[in-house]
Amino acid sequence: MDPAAASPAPAPAAEEPRSDASLLDALGGEVLAVMSPVSICMALVVLLISLLSPPSSGSVAAGSPPPVTAATLVYLESPTDTPAQKFVGALLDAAVFVALVAVVTFVLVALYYYRCTGFLKNYMRFSAFFVIFSMGGAIAAAVLRRLAAPLDAPTAFLLLFNGAAVGVLSVFASAVPILVRQGYMVALAVIVAAWLSRLPEWTTWIMLVALALYDLVAVLAPRGPLRMLVELASSRDDELPALVYESRPTVGPATSSSSYASAMGSVEMQTMADSGRVGGSRYDRVEQDEDASRAVVEMRDLGRGRSNIGEMNRSSGSVLQMDNLEREVPVTPIELPSNQIGSQHAVIQIEQSEEAETAPLVSAASSNNAASDEEQRQSSSSEPLDFEMFESTRGIKLGLGDFVFYSVLVGRAAMYDLMTVYACYLAIIAGLGCTLILLSICRHALPALPISIMLGVTFYFLTRLLMEPFVVGASTNLVMF
Amino acid sequence: MTVAAGLGYALIALGPAFSLFAGVVARKPFLVLTLLSSTLFWLMSLIVLSGIWRGFLPIKSGTWWAYAILIITSVALQEGTRLVFWRLYKKMEEMLDAFADRISKPRLSLTDKMLISFAGGLGHGVAHAVFFCLSLLTPAFGRATFYVERCSKMPFFLASALIALGFLVIHTFSMIIAFNAYDEKKKCDQIVVPVVHLAAAVMMLVNLAPGGCLIGTPLLLVMAVLTLQYCWRVACRRLTEHQHRQLNN
Repeated sequence: MDPAAASPAPAPAAEEPRSDASLLDALGGEVLAVMSPVSICMALVVLLISLLSPPSSGSVAAGSPPPVTAATLVYLESPTDTPAQKFVGALLDAAVFVALVAVVTFVLVALYYYRCTGFLKNYMRFSAFFVIFSMGGAIAAAVLRRLAAPLDAPTAFLLLFNGAAVGVLSVFASAVPILVRQGYMVALAVIVAAWLSRLPEWTTWIMLVALALYDLVAVLAPRGPLRMLVELASSRDDELPALVYESRPTVGPATSSSSYASAMGSVEMQTMADSGRVGGSRYDRVEQDEDASRAVVEMRDLGRGRSNIGEMNRSSGSVLQMDNLEREVPVTPIELPSNQIGSQHAVIQIEQSEEAETAPLVSAASSNNAASDEEQRQSSSSEPLDFEMFESTRGIKLGLGDFVFYSVLVGRAAMYDLMTVYACYLAIIAGLGCTLILLSICRHALPALPISIMLGVTFYFLTRLLMEPFVVGASTNLVMF
Repeated sequence: MTVAAGLGYALIALGPAFSLFAGVVARKPFLVLTLLSSTLFWLMSLIVLSGIWRGFLPIKSGTWWAYAILIITSVALQEGTRLVFWRLYKKMEEMLDAFADRISKPRLSLTDKMLISFAGGLGHGVAHAVFFCLSLLTPAFGRATFYVERCSKMPFFLASALIALGFLVIHTFSMIIAFNAYDEKKKCDQIVVPVVHLAAAVMMLVNLAPGGCLIGTPLLLVMAVLTLQYCWRVACRRLTEHQHRQLNN
């Protein structure tokens, strides 16, 4: 019988079951933690677009000419061209754009390889500041003009400058609250997406498809730039030089095994090991080598006042197993057998510090987080580890470029009609869900763009061509089903 | 008629759904995911339906029988989608139970299952309200309003919001009835759900007559109340039976 159903049984369906007994309570938390900011970002972009350029059919952006960017170097669409011209022109544009992105990514990989981290970091800081200050400022100015809200120039400048400064700090420094950091990530994505949505229509669609394909190749192909970047970063046990959205709290610089006491609100999963032997393991699943030594795994989630402490016995090549997990255990520090020099232990640092370097935003030309596109790593544990681990240690990282391009797709759908917006939103979320499921199976970095973008584009055209005449025709006659 | 009216219409259609969401579904991430996936299912069934009917559009307004065929096909497709959803849910339930066993946690309780069916139904209802009502509400935020010729007493937006509300309730709670019926293998409940859906949709044909919306819309809301009451009975019965069985063990 169900012990869980005993007490709430008398009441009808809406009563909550006891908290310790239901599987539903714990599953899916981290998936939702990624889907929520994506949804918020898309909603904000749609809001901005409907505020600034009222949804109009076709490719004419009301009022403002499309920006001269890298995406329109070859061909700038004008409403008077024939569809064939637009198509070919858009293809050329997309090819140039993808080539540019690829070149920049290779440059980034080269810089990272030669350890020019100082240059990279400062360039990232500069580009974050630039995006928030100038592009965000332009959008803010347009919004203020549209709402006819009065704000004098010095105040605006001051506010914008402060906002941008806090943004730069929050993206790279360690002591900033996670909410602020996540908020600024979303804000960056919103600004870049709103800006990119001003591209002409055909160019946007073809560029999205081209980028999805590029993403697929760059992350999965053996010589793809992003794959090389991930492998470089993991072989150096270092943070990826990209802007990524992290959906769980982090602490300061990568803590060693002994500094548990100082970890505040950290969620760490560490096993002691010889890191050389697990090369590339940080971002991979915890696959241990043939050594049958014991690893102590400690997970602590101080933020929630719970900890799960367990020990694992590894057998060769097997997945980590947890036993003795308890949900409500007071936080106790654990001593890692750091003095067991003889045995091999793997240090797998899942938590990352925010010494994150970011991919360069290609400056004056179209802004685009090249390398940050696809990185979606799972700081993972093994599959049989139960849902307590899922909710307290699992955090999924999604590159900011993914946010941007999802929002560009939805923003472009918003320029047609709200029905396409909803359809594309559902398609993107479904694609993201599929990608996350694949991630939990494959356990290495996966491109987040392809499935969602393909689904989104398909649903957009299906909705626009098939569904909308049908639904509008039925509902204006008040015939609904 | 201004933002206030637009928001008002949106809340009429989606207000109860929003409170149901915030009060029940949002507390458990898994239910939110169930809701999203059932919304996606409903959208896909709608796309298939519109793909089938695209060649026959636009339907001339005078031909009510064309609308009748439309309604019958769409209800049939949606009920089919419900069955598919049920099958997928059963598979997922097996996986979840296996997972729970593996980590020695209790399996899905009856309340859990009803919550999942509730979230699924809410997903269907929300999808319906969003695609049929909300996406057409944008003009309502402007300065004027819109009347359909055949419904000159009620603004179009109000009528569509009320209808969306009715269908939301019907979809949400008939999913609970349906899942219970498939689970317990009760034929009569299994028949009741498509019949109610079909009846509600056919009632909408009344709207095609001049002034018909004044009759059709309240009738639909009555159907919604009936569905709600029936679901209440089914759920109460099931839960008390379950409790009795547990007490007896």
